Amino acid sequence: MDPTNTRISAELERKMDEAIRRYPPDRKRSAAMPLLYLWQEKFGFISDEGVRWIAAKLELQPINILELVTFYPMFRQAPAGKKHIRVCRTLSCAMAGSYRVMENACTAAGIVRHRDENGMRNPISVSADGKCSIEFVECLASCGTAPVCMVEDELIENVQPSAAAALLNPDPSIQNPQLSSPHPLEHRLIFKNIGRSDWTTDIDCYLRDGGYEQLKAAIKMSRAEIVNEVKTSGLRGRGGAGFPCGVKWSFIKADEKKPVYLICNADESEPGTFKDRYIIHEDPHQLLEGILISCFALNVKTAYIYIRGEFPEGAKILEHAIEEARAHNFLGQNMLGTGFDVEVYIHRGAGAYICGEETGLIESLEGKRAYPRIKPPYFPAVLGLYMCPTIVNNVETLCHVKHIIAMGGGPYARLGRPNNTGTRIVCVSGDVQRPGYFEIEVGAVTMGQLIYDMAGGPRSGRTVKAVIPGGSSAKVLRADERFKLKMKQPDGSIAEQEVSLFEIPMDFDSLAAAGSMAGSGGVIVLDDSRDMVWTLNNINEFYAHESCGQCTPCREGSLWMKKITDRMLLGGGVVQDPETLKTVADNIAGRTICAFGEACAWPTQSFVEKFKDEFASRSQKPVPPAMPPEYTPGELIDHERIATTALPRNPGWEETATAGTI
Amino acid sequence: MGDQVLAPPQLLNVQINGVWHQFPKGTRVIEACEQAGSYVPRYCYHKKLSSPGNCRMCLIEMGMPKMGPDRKPEVGADGMPLINWMPRPQISCAQDVSEGMGVRTDSPLAQECRKGVMEFLLINHPLDCPICDQAGECRLQEFSVEYGNAASRFLENKVKKPKNIELGPRVTLDDERCILCSRCIRFCQEVAHDDVLGFVDRGSHSVLTAHPGKRLENNYSLNTVDICPVGALTSSDFRFQMRVWFLKETKSFCTSCATGCNTIIGTREDVIYRQTPRENDAVNSSWMCDYGRLNFGYLQSDTRLLQPEILAGDKLIPAEWNVAITHAVAQLKHFSAWEIAIIASGRMTNEELWLTSQLAKILGVDLIDIVPRTGPGDDILLSADRNPNTNGARLLGVTSVPGAKLREIKDDVVGGRVKALIALGENPIEIGLTVEQLKALPAFVVMNILSNDATEAATALLPSFGFAEKRGSMINGKGRLQRLNRAVRGPGQARDDWEILRDLIQAYSGRNGIYSIEDVFRQMSEAVPALAGLSLSKIGDLGVQVMESAK
Ligand SMILES: Cc1cc2nc3c(=O)[nH]c(=O)nc-3n(C[C@H](O)[C@H](O)[C@H](O)COP(=O)(O)O)c2cc1C
Ligand code: SF4
Ligand code: SF4
Ligand code: SF4
Ligand code: FES
Ligand code: FES
Repeated sequence: MDPTNTRISAELERKMDEAIRRYPPDRKRSAAMPLLYLWQEKFGFISDEGVRWIAAKLELQPINILELVTFYPMFRQAPAGKKHIRVCRTLSCAMAGSYRVMENACTAAGIVRHRDENGMRNPISVSADGKCSIEFVECLASCGTAPVCMVEDELIENVQPSAAAALLNPDPSIQNPQLSSPHPLEHRLIFKNIGRSDWTTDIDCYLRDGGYEQLKAAIKMSRAEIVNEVKTSGLRGRGGAGFPCGVKWSFIKADEKKPVYLICNADESEPGTFKDRYIIHEDPHQLLEGILISCFALNVKTAYIYIRGEFPEGAKILEHAIEEARAHNFLGQNMLGTGFDVEVYIHRGAGAYICGEETGLIESLEGKRAYPRIKPPYFPAVLGLYMCPTIVNNVETLCHVKHIIAMGGGPYARLGRPNNTGTRIVCVSGDVQRPGYFEIEVGAVTMGQLIYDMAGGPRSGRTVKAVIPGGSSAKVLRADERFKLKMKQPDGSIAEQEVSLFEIPMDFDSLAAAGSMAGSGGVIVLDDSRDMVWTLNNINEFYAHESCGQCTPCREGSLWMKKITDRMLLGGGVVQDPETLKTVADNIAGRTICAFGEACAWPTQSFVEKFKDEFASRSQKPVPPAMPPEYTPGELIDHERIATTALPRNPGWEETATAGTI
Repeated sequence: MGDQVLAPPQLLNVQINGVWHQFPKGTRVIEACEQAGSYVPRYCYHKKLSSPGNCRMCLIEMGMPKMGPDRKPEVGADGMPLINWMPRPQISCAQDVSEGMGVRTDSPLAQECRKGVMEFLLINHPLDCPICDQAGECRLQEFSVEYGNAASRFLENKVKKPKNIELGPRVTLDDERCILCSRCIRFCQEVAHDDVLGFVDRGSHSVLTAHPGKRLENNYSLNTVDICPVGALTSSDFRFQMRVWFLKETKSFCTSCATGCNTIIGTREDVIYRQTPRENDAVNSSWMCDYGRLNFGYLQSDTRLLQPEILAGDKLIPAEWNVAITHAVAQLKHFSAWEIAIIASGRMTNEELWLTSQLAKILGVDLIDIVPRTGPGDDILLSADRNPNTNGARLLGVTSVPGAKLREIKDDVVGGRVKALIALGENPIEIGLTVEQLKALPAFVVMNILSNDATEAATALLPSFGFAEKRGSMINGKGRLQRLNRAVRGPGQARDDWEILRDLIQAYSGRNGIYSIEDVFRQMSEAVPALAGLSLSKIGDLGVQVMESAK
């Protein structure tokens, strides 16, 4: 008897079979991540036995599963402690003291943290008594309440370093911070319900508020009409690239023979961004309604919500919302009597940032390492999930679809500015007094209003030094920079005007004209206490850790840049370092498979360029003579003499057919 | 369907480095550039595998025809389309050419891209070329000379990775040398249908590996060594044996099954060090199996027959060749045609089989056949017919149904009706005869390369050559005539098989006219319609189809 079979309970196997059924029958591989989760929930970690068992279950090779376990940081190959703590080490949290949180928590738990210099994985350190384990993780998409930690599946916000010991026994009575009510400068569509005292996530509450009316309206429209409304609305993607949503949708042929898939990108992982989190956790039906309208419009029979692994609660909420919606026949067979069948499934990521990139996401959903695909030829709208036409949209983008149906594309387009329509949620974190999310009419608020009026400005005695305006990959802007933007004048004409950072309107085109981007809407504010080399190093560590490693420039360059800033921080900066940093970044941007190349190069390019003095003062050592070779030839040869098993001439694969070998 | 086949391939105009060329639709940009004389360096691209576009070495500048307001291409003074160059470099390995496309492979941007990629590839690469087996045929070494920076500005510690990993019984991996191009992974998935390799960990720490429970041990594993652009995968068999630049290369083909994969035999001073596949899309694409690749050691075996021998009294004693031939023929002359049988071999060349059939004719022998040799085949390359030239033996009349007469030969030897047996390249023990039965034969003429129990029983023993030691032709399972070339000299006094057979014929009948193997081929081609008009040199390196490929 295989010992494993006795350990896998019927219950577990039933859950696994259920997970497998969420994917097309010939695409069982897609269930690899769900199965790994189920295994890890049951046994605490993924043993080699688990790797083999899951591979066999999915008719795969063990290497296919091993590849995943080692790619996705949330899967562990060794047991964690009884209570597992994840401390966010990314920029906003690090600025708020998360490294001290880590230190203090380790001291309190008696954990000696070992660092894995070589591996890219942040190793899990377990206390001697096995009660507790801790690891650093990258941005948990709650930068507005930094520093944050996760204790098991629960998010703990505003963890003060001095109170880190409390992580070991979180007090359930401590409520997470109140959700904020709207600032007068806000214009809330998507976040209309967030922070309402009478608001709950169940469908009855949603229905009382007029929920699913837009879905009912949409199914009375023709598909082309819906797509047209979305086109007219001018809605641009809120995931980062700002691509016009209607244009993307019109890539799907009306008479498409292959199945069309819709994927809701709920991977929210660009540091500084924490808007989708609130939509998912507070208003799941709004998202679901947006998805269902989109499915109807695009003739999509199967939609997946790819939700980052760090949102376990969110995944549960969405699962529940789907069941509720099914009970009302908003999805399932013959949706609302239209004859249209539609299913929405949740697929959980497992801690890899690159799964936010749409083609990496698709690979991940197919049960593989999230290696982004080359475009051409693999444009998702043509050769996406399972090589079928696929639309990937951000959570917020899909929510806007509901409001476009409610308002009509034309009226929606009057919100915001031309080519920058509607509202969008911007997230402010870092050195401000009131970090948080603000839904604004695109371009109706300036950077100054956002930072000073809405987010309370820098802490007393501090001034703003720089702003990263669209997630950590956006190029940094200096507070004292002047920008030339084309701006609408009071008389309606357009003229070029020189503005300060704080006068830049918060819209796609203005931030692009200022040399950065609106990106994912994550605004990170840095005050005059910040060391820019330290800041860049923190960002570099994120990108070096998250590079999928597929293509040469990003794989090698991201780690190289991090190693340089590491060395500069340790006092080893040499005169050439700023120049090397710049050229390494230049050699990455624009030359990689996916836009992660730019994402990891832009911070370096902009920080080094804009804070020359700071970088120069950290790179004063003379350039050392060339390093000795890695090994001396003698060492090399000794090293190579490690005995390898001698092989018989007989290749050994075909013992029986001796007749073939003389 | 019919007109599709007949339609000429659509030709597309493509500008490469300022010059317009034409390429058939479906040509990859990287191939088009190469055909136009502008080789684009590459690591991950392999034309027989899918294109992941991961190494980024093949970045070039690309442009598309500039469209006028009427959505028609704008035309320049030369009547050719004007090109709108894309601001970003593009990879050339994953896109096909299109009408009016422009490509620049040597522009400052393209050069800078290559330099950048080379630098990235080298920063974490161990500089152990002095002891690397790939040295001399390493793409990293090659391109770094052409495109690399002389001085390294990398001041950090290199990433340490596993070295000396036995990926399987025949392939050794050095992860520090691996540039993560995934060629080997794709080969295993797409060609060998054995998905055993993969990357684990992430980013710059990614390493190639196999799961310990399922190693790289399929019969095609050594092809990964051939296609690995660096020295990460090495053949455990070939490792540290010989510097590749010392090797003499001879084009030949594998004779271990009826597929006849085209090969290059690497030798030095008459010793074979390796066989590697040679591209031939009509036969083996770019691959060969491990079994065939490694099946050459016997040529260097201690049991090689090195000296002609004749039976004197009850002992085999060394003899001069002319003595041995005369001795053999004198023995055969004692018997009538029906008392003689010939066991020939499906491993013999056409020339040898032709002479064998002539010998049979002169002797009047009717009992002649080859020994079938089978093993499990696959639907990749390996044929269940392990004889490389069954088709030749059929075509030249040495057998009609291979092996059909062996039973009769055996029974007649056992029953004493056959008194003289000629065994050419085969061991009669394999058809069920015993050493005693062979010893009882009044005449037992053996031509072979290795000694065995049967050779001990010979009355005349004629040592001959192995496949790498001789020239000649064979017809593979699909009816393709291919040519063996001599890579090494045969050992000792051993002689080329065709010469031995010719001498036997001459000693028997005095007839002459054959001085070279070309003469044999000429005779054969005059007599066999399928070979009409051909000669050894006309076969060329890639062979000629001479029979229906249905078989
Ligand atoms: C490195 C990288 C990370 C990304 N991460 C996210 C993400 O976490 N969430 C998201 O919605 N889009 C992300 N994107 C953008 C997606 O690739 C894609 O453009 C987006 O999901 C499309 O949706 P939209 O058009 O609605 O914005 C990322 C892109 C890159 C290059
Ligand atoms: S750019 Fe980076 S993240 Fe994107 S495919 Fe290349 S290595 Fe992976
Ligand atoms: S071992 Fe060789 S072929 Fe395989 S990925 Fe590494 S460099 Fe490429
Ligand atoms: S498939 Fe046959 S011909 Fe090809 S290498 Fe293997 S044994 Fe030789
Ligand atoms: S949650 Fe910690 S940086 Fe975003
Ligand atoms: S050869 Fe084109 S990217 Fe590797």
